[in-house]
Amino acid sequence: MTVQAAQGGVAGGPSPSGLADVIDTILDKGLVIDAYVRVSLVGIELLTIDARVVVASVDTYLRFAEAVNRLDLAESSPPGLPEIVKGAKQGQIGGASKDIAGGVLDAAGDKLSDFVGKDEDDEPEESSQRSEER
Amino acid sequence: MAVDTEPEVGIYVYGLVPEDVEVEEDARGVGDEPGELEIVRHGDIAALVSAITLDRPLGTPDDLMRHQALLDGTAAEVPVLPLRFGAVLASREAVVDELLAPHHDEFLAALKEMEGLAEYVVKGRYVEGAVLGEVLAENPEAARLRDEIRGVPEAVARDAQIRLGEILTGAISAKYNADTHAVLDAVAPVSALSFVREPTHDLDAVHVALLVENDRREELERVVAEFSDRWEGRVRLRLLGPLAPYDFVTTSQAG
Repeated sequence: MTVQAAQGGVAGGPSPSGLADVIDTILDKGLVIDAYVRVSLVGIELLTIDARVVVASVDTYLRFAEAVNRLDLAESSPPGLPEIVKGAKQGQIGGASKDIAGGVLDAAGDKLSDFVGKDEDDEPEESSQRSEER
Repeated sequence: MAVDTEPEVGIYVYGLVPEDVEVEEDARGVGDEPGELEIVRHGDIAALVSAITLDRPLGTPDDLMRHQALLDGTAAEVPVLPLRFGAVLASREAVVDELLAPHHDEFLAALKEMEGLAEYVVKGRYVEGAVLGEVLAENPEAARLRDEIRGVPEAVARDAQIRLGEILTGAISAKYNADTHAVLDAVAPVSALSFVREPTHDLDAVHVALLVENDRREELERVVAEFSDRWEGRVRLRLLGPLAPYDFVTTSQAG
């Protein structure tokens, strides 16, 4: 058996996770070592990155209300909605951290397409559709 | 090994694996000057570790990505029990004496349970315009408020905006529940265990972790692809994995 490090290049990698996914996954999940070890635990300072928790707030409400307003301005045929919104979405995400997360998510989405597309022979249709992301 | 700087060096522990694993020669761990990935063995189990200097706080994006990438890369090959990010012990000896030896049987049993299984995460996010459009079409009150607000100066419309936003948020949350359960029902036959994660974004449509047998991976992918097609333009759906079983190791096993 071999443990392969992603760093060492598991070609195509089994890990399509972006930073936002990683933050959702490793900060508050997994075995907690304090429960097993006390004496030789080294208290290294951790940068505080809280896993994001969704709390509905007035800000959220206003953001959605504004988004609805923009939908109206675009005043369009229902089937075209996703495209319009895609443009609107880019502009509307405020705050540096969210911007970063958005970028990472997109990147992760691309990687998933690779990951799915890589999957031998079945479902060539799905993978090509998904990589187009509309 | 920089013996003279020993006080400033710790041993970062990523996770627990069976004893008979090897690491790639050039695999590196977390930190600014990442140490080589190493295996510390005891009995039938081992810890995946690397030396780390303690002169700066941990948790840069690189650190986080590296931690997970190493564990996921490992999980693709062998069973692994991932530790939460940021576990550092004083020395390799401490890893054996305090972590591996006292909990050997418990970790070994858990590793056997994880044999042939890996975690996958299904994440879906609503396309904002599509889901808002759905709510407006389904909820007369929301549509009425939308009309009321239209063309009114923002300061005047603020209360109506908040009320509209509240309705939208509640409706999206209800859709999240329904869609999450639709996915859970569909993946139940192909997964050994499932866990519903907390939403981490206003527009989350689905956020579930699944423990899946390695040879059912294709079935899982097929189910997720079906949802992806069905929800095209409405939900951006992604399947992450195979991952280490972060959501399925619990410290209560420590017993």
